[in-house]
Amino acid sequence: MASNARGGAVAVHPYHQGGPALTGAELMAANPYRPWPARITSITELTATEKLFEFRFIDDAIRDAFCHAPGQFVELSLFGVGEAPISISSSPTKKGFIELCVRRAGRFTERLHRMQCGETVGIRGPFGRGFPLEAMRGHDVLLVAGGLGIAPLRSLINNIHDCRSEFGKVTIIYGSRNPQEVMFRHQFEMWRHRKDFDLYLTVDHADDTWDGEEGLVTKPFEHLEIDAANTFGALCGPPVMYRFVVQEMRKKGIPYDRIYMSFERHMKCGVGKCGHCQVGHQYCCIDGPVFNYWEAKNIQGSM
Amino acid sequence: MLYRVIDRADVPSLVAAFMERYEVVAPVRRGEKYVFEAVSDFDEIALDYPTTIASPKKYFLPATETLFAFDARENAVTDYVDEVRPRVLFGVHACDINGIMNLNSVFNDPRYPDPYYRAHEDATLIVGVSCTPTDTCFCHLMDSEEARPGYDLFLNAIGDRYLVSIGSVTAANILESACDVREATDADRAAFRAATRARQRAFNPAIPDVQEIPMLMDAFHEDAFWDELGGRCLSCNACASVCPTCYCFDIRDTLDPGAETGRRERVWDACTSPQFAMVAGGHNFRATPAARVRHRMYHKLNGFLATHDRSLCVGCGRCAAACKVDISPIAVLEFFERKGADDGE
Ligand code: SF4
Ligand code: SF4
Repeated sequence: MASNARGGAVAVHPYHQGGPALTGAELMAANPYRPWPARITSITELTATEKLFEFRFIDDAIRDAFCHAPGQFVELSLFGVGEAPISISSSPTKKGFIELCVRRAGRFTERLHRMQCGETVGIRGPFGRGFPLEAMRGHDVLLVAGGLGIAPLRSLINNIHDCRSEFGKVTIIYGSRNPQEVMFRHQFEMWRHRKDFDLYLTVDHADDTWDGEEGLVTKPFEHLEIDAANTFGALCGPPVMYRFVVQEMRKKGIPYDRIYMSFERHMKCGVGKCGHCQVGHQYCCIDGPVFNYWEAKNIQGSM
Repeated sequence: MLYRVIDRADVPSLVAAFMERYEVVAPVRRGEKYVFEAVSDFDEIALDYPTTIASPKKYFLPATETLFAFDARENAVTDYVDEVRPRVLFGVHACDINGIMNLNSVFNDPRYPDPYYRAHEDATLIVGVSCTPTDTCFCHLMDSEEARPGYDLFLNAIGDRYLVSIGSVTAANILESACDVREATDADRAAFRAATRARQRAFNPAIPDVQEIPMLMDAFHEDAFWDELGGRCLSCNACASVCPTCYCFDIRDTLDPGAETGRRERVWDACTSPQFAMVAGGHNFRATPAARVRHRMYHKLNGFLATHDRSLCVGCGRCAAACKVDISPIAVLEFFERKGADDGE
């Protein structure tokens, strides 16, 4: 219903240039579909199919205003190819850049994998509800990642690492199919020799380069000792993994509403409209992508 | 709500007054059917129409809309201008006004307001008109037979007059300048009441009034009924395109000839399309037609209600008319009714 008639050309990004300092919310408020130019500042090959990209927003105000929570995602634009939702892999404690871990798996990611440092992309976000970091403080945390699921969990892991004393015992289980697919291997190797984390790296199929465990990501649960009443679970991985890992966490006695998981869906708009990421009555892009197990049980078709 | 009475004979001058400042879109007859279209003369308008093939949602959410223009070589956005046209939707039924209200609550969500939708909304006046239900209408079962807010004017037919509810100053001014507006008499009020009762009696009694629909959608979520119903879906998306409250879209880039510049567009999409819930790497979260039809019905009859406190389906019956294999919320209501008739045995 119109309060008055106006027409012709309407600019749909009325703000920003020269405006006051922007918060993340204000960035979104004006036009949530607007990608901001960002430059690729570093590319690291993680595996044969995965690369870690570091991006910096070109506009100072945007770079300073951007803040995210572990578990949130951005929409990455390659103009002419399209957009893709990608979870943020870097920790919010590190300002000025964001890291995205991208598997080469289609037209969009093929193109991104061919890009070089110094090239420009568009980024909008951050979107969604991440892991409940504030609630986790002061507690033990059990993190379980399968395959590419390490990408969003790495943001949480690194965040915890940067304020380690604020958390209790932190256990990380990270399962891959084979040793070649283990990402961030250097970082994990380094942590294995420290007391910060209890680290379990598993592969479904080991070879002679492997000195970790062999078996499914649920295997370490056999000898895991946790203080269930004081523990938060966090998991991310391929869809088939969730049911099994959640079962193990429940067997250990972690409460329904302290098991947090990140859902993978194709968020196209990121702002609760386009419908692609709907699960039951929820939108992964605004209600999730991180849900606790209690919420997930109440969402039709979630698991 | 403020209301006044005008004569039917005054309506052409009301339309003419709108035409001075706005494009007027109204129901128009096309063969046996009716469609919303821009008109240039009152005589083109079929104000006593049963229902239109498609809803008027395209005036808020165009089938293709440019979000911005870009330069693909520089990987940069070049322009954000959206064209909107001041427009009057003249002769919208209550179900469609409620449908637009549902779209409003999605697109004007204060956390993520959609500036494109808002631009269309701000430039659009809505003039509602009362109706007589068709065989596929069930708005009364979806709490949508009455438009409460959501219009600038609403014309309630009472014989050779209209009782006009007035929702905005802009519309009030135009109404006053164009028509001989008078206070309602007791006879007008009685006629309004009689017209409302006649409409209530005119609904198709074969469409069952089922209580607790949202709860039933959860309770029967795993029933074999969904395979039977959804199994025959042709994935044609006709239901979604005619529906006043299907608002899902895809976002895609379209390159200009030469592939140096282009536009990012949003285009209508539907959860009944096979690839709708597919993610990178190829996993499809709703791989079968049955899963997709169930999801569409779930969102229409339960999911939206859980988050917006209103049924998303407004009972316009368009999808029932559009679907070649008889899939619609009516079929779902009939299923629930059969289940109830089984006596739980
Ligand atoms: S689901 Fe069908 S009956 Fe309900 S509003 Fe949409 S088109 Fe109308
Ligand atoms: S439900 Fe009917 S109209 Fe909708 S996509 Fe399936 S066959 Fe087409």
